[in-house]
Amino acid sequence: MKNDMLGVIFSENPEASMGELTSLRSLAAVPVGGRYRIIDFILSNMVNSGIIKVGITTPVNYQSLTDHLGTGKDWDMDRKDDGLYILPPKDTGESDVEAIGGIERLNGISSFLNKSKQEYVLVADCNTICNIDFDLVLNSHIKNEADFTLVCTPVKNLSSKDVKKHILVNADDDGIVTDLHVYPSRQITELSYMHMFITRRETLIELVEYASTHGKHQISKDILLPAVENDQVKVCAYVFDGYRKKIDSIQSFYKVNLDLLNKEVRDELFGLSVDNPIFTKIKDSVPTKYAKTAEVENSFIADGCKIEGTVRNCILFRGVHIGKNAVVENSIIMQDSEIMENCDVENVIFDKGVILRSGKKLVGQDTYPLVIGKEIVV
Amino acid sequence: MRSKECVAMILAGGQGSRLGILTQNVAKPAVPFGGKYRIIDFPLSNCAHSGIDTVGVLTQYQPLELNTYIANGQPWDLDRTNGGVFVLPPYTSAEKGEWYKGTANAIYQNIGFMEQFNPKYVVILSGDHIYKMDYNKMLTAHKNANADATIAVIEVPWEEAPRFGIMNTDENMRIVEFEEKPEKPKSNLASMGVYCFSWNVLKKYLVDDEANPDSENDFGKNIIPAMLGDGLKLMAHRFDGYWKDVGTIQSLWEANMELLDDKPGCDLDDDSWKIFSRNPIKPPQYVGATGSLKNSYTTEGCEIYGSVEHSILFEGVTICEGATVKDSIVLPGAVINKGAVINKAIVGSDAEIGPGAEIGSKAADANNEYNNTKICSDDITLIGPGVKIGNEKKVAVLSMVTADIC
Repeated sequence: MKNDMLGVIFSENPEASMGELTSLRSLAAVPVGGRYRIIDFILSNMVNSGIIKVGITTPVNYQSLTDHLGTGKDWDMDRKDDGLYILPPKDTGESDVEAIGGIERLNGISSFLNKSKQEYVLVADCNTICNIDFDLVLNSHIKNEADFTLVCTPVKNLSSKDVKKHILVNADDDGIVTDLHVYPSRQITELSYMHMFITRRETLIELVEYASTHGKHQISKDILLPAVENDQVKVCAYVFDGYRKKIDSIQSFYKVNLDLLNKEVRDELFGLSVDNPIFTKIKDSVPTKYAKTAEVENSFIADGCKIEGTVRNCILFRGVHIGKNAVVENSIIMQDSEIMENCDVENVIFDKGVILRSGKKLVGQDTYPLVIGKEIVV
Repeated sequence: MRSKECVAMILAGGQGSRLGILTQNVAKPAVPFGGKYRIIDFPLSNCAHSGIDTVGVLTQYQPLELNTYIANGQPWDLDRTNGGVFVLPPYTSAEKGEWYKGTANAIYQNIGFMEQFNPKYVVILSGDHIYKMDYNKMLTAHKNANADATIAVIEVPWEEAPRFGIMNTDENMRIVEFEEKPEKPKSNLASMGVYCFSWNVLKKYLVDDEANPDSENDFGKNIIPAMLGDGLKLMAHRFDGYWKDVGTIQSLWEANMELLDDKPGCDLDDDSWKIFSRNPIKPPQYVGATGSLKNSYTTEGCEIYGSVEHSILFEGVTICEGATVKDSIVLPGAVINKGAVINKAIVGSDAEIGPGAEIGSKAADANNEYNNTKICSDDITLIGPGVKIGNEKKVAVLSMVTADIC
């Protein structure tokens, strides 16, 4: 059933560094999991949760994202009332250089926020891969009579390098957030904010207006932290303990993809038991053809592939061709790439349309996979 | 309604009784084909690529699944503001109500539908053939020849000609005689069941045919012979691509298996003429460490831990560890449990084959109570949709299993 909540997704995240994979596309449009883009997960979660209006901010490089989303048809978001809104930046005539914080981006879509009719708003980053029911989060928000509800997840034994990427949360026994630690240097608590929160739409508009007229930039530091510190404002934590991984580096991208070789992760992430599927753009690819010479083991393979060689522990996107006697292991091969005969490939990430000529050998490290950029011929 | 130069009508009401249990609850055009398609995807995709944007689909037998599948026509780009796809079941009027009595009567009952678009030409198609054809080329030939009707024909081997409606033509491809299933064919040009008519001509013949109480109201038996008898200009339009009637279990099995040939007759992997279908919302397929696939066609949502050879798996099929599937077609959602053996079979949607069971068994002690050589031939075994086969059960070759075997 539809609910009274608006969704807002940021298609970029300044903290993510994806190198070559985002040189030609936004973070949200990075291909993942054989037939998806990063945005498909958060967007499908919203659609499955009964959210019928979603705005996506697209500050830069949004051509491939708009091409992917189209009218929103494949998410059933091509509607007369509400539906999908792609929100490119406004031409303010001023330099954009400083407009990188979440507050500037929300301020940039103020007319979208103002015109919407929903009582509540869910604001989320695009790059957390999970299958979450936001209707449950909204119910908890309403039941708690909260002003803010932050979606959080348990974290344990973070390395000193990793902990700096987290916003750690102190919550009391009633789930009320008592403190936030933005990018700390050591692990103070075992609860981490997932960069998704719910509040009233009117409240968000007021706070964004105030923050942006006071030279503030960051949602976490300049909106959520003051709210936590204000005794008049009730901030609650909603704990999500399912599978979730944030894609913010080549390594995490590689890990999330290979996690899909695990059946429990697949079943949960693709919502197979709860019927909350992940939608994506339909391509009408033919089924995948396995030749007489194909040897495939522990791999996740989309439609439209032609496999004549050996594939182990790989993710193959739509339309990939693996030639005879080629051996491909522990690799992510994106759409329409071709690995010709007698090649030997290990620990690599091929962007879309890469061609590897016959007899080549390419080997990366499992901790540091080799990335080959879009449409490169090796 | 804006006028349309050409409207297509797809005859999709047939039962397809020779497909046995596969068409028990669905019309033949809705039968799954080729890993992710239904038979009707072929004429609908052909229409979309030929630039025909107004299509009527005439349904009668078990239409529910077909209706849901076609819905607003969006997968075939037929969700149009002006035109689009229309499902047309029989209806009652103030005077009378009746079922579609024959192919010609089905079109006759929808004269009102077609008149809304004021078409110059009508293309009549059937919903039970596998082929990729540009109807626009046929329409152009029809216009250039100033014909009253144009019938698509395909060369068939002479020895098979007696199974078809055969067109005898003069040197200019004008049809001089039509023979339905002739014992001694004079030509090997078979009608493909694809017709193009000038609408004003067809309309008159439909009305006259309806007024004749002795008519069977059939295009092949009545309308075409009547037009020939009156000396109208009927042209044959030669089609030289792949075309296959999938009206029997054997031809359905063959047409599927032909997709696995090194150079398939009907190449589905063709970006210029994609066959569109309503895609399932399923993740990619997963092949486990114990899985093996050779010379096979599989699609999204499959989980493969067993061994698959020369077979076609539809969406969401599970093949468990130690199971062997050979020369078979496994329809959506079916589960083949551990150690089961599937030999030259068509396994229906959501069927479940128990651990260690054997389908298509030639063993003397195999269960033979479902033997059905009327439907099954060429050693093909058919397991009905949703049927469960228990542990270690052996199902004899040439069976059509319609109920659980526990």
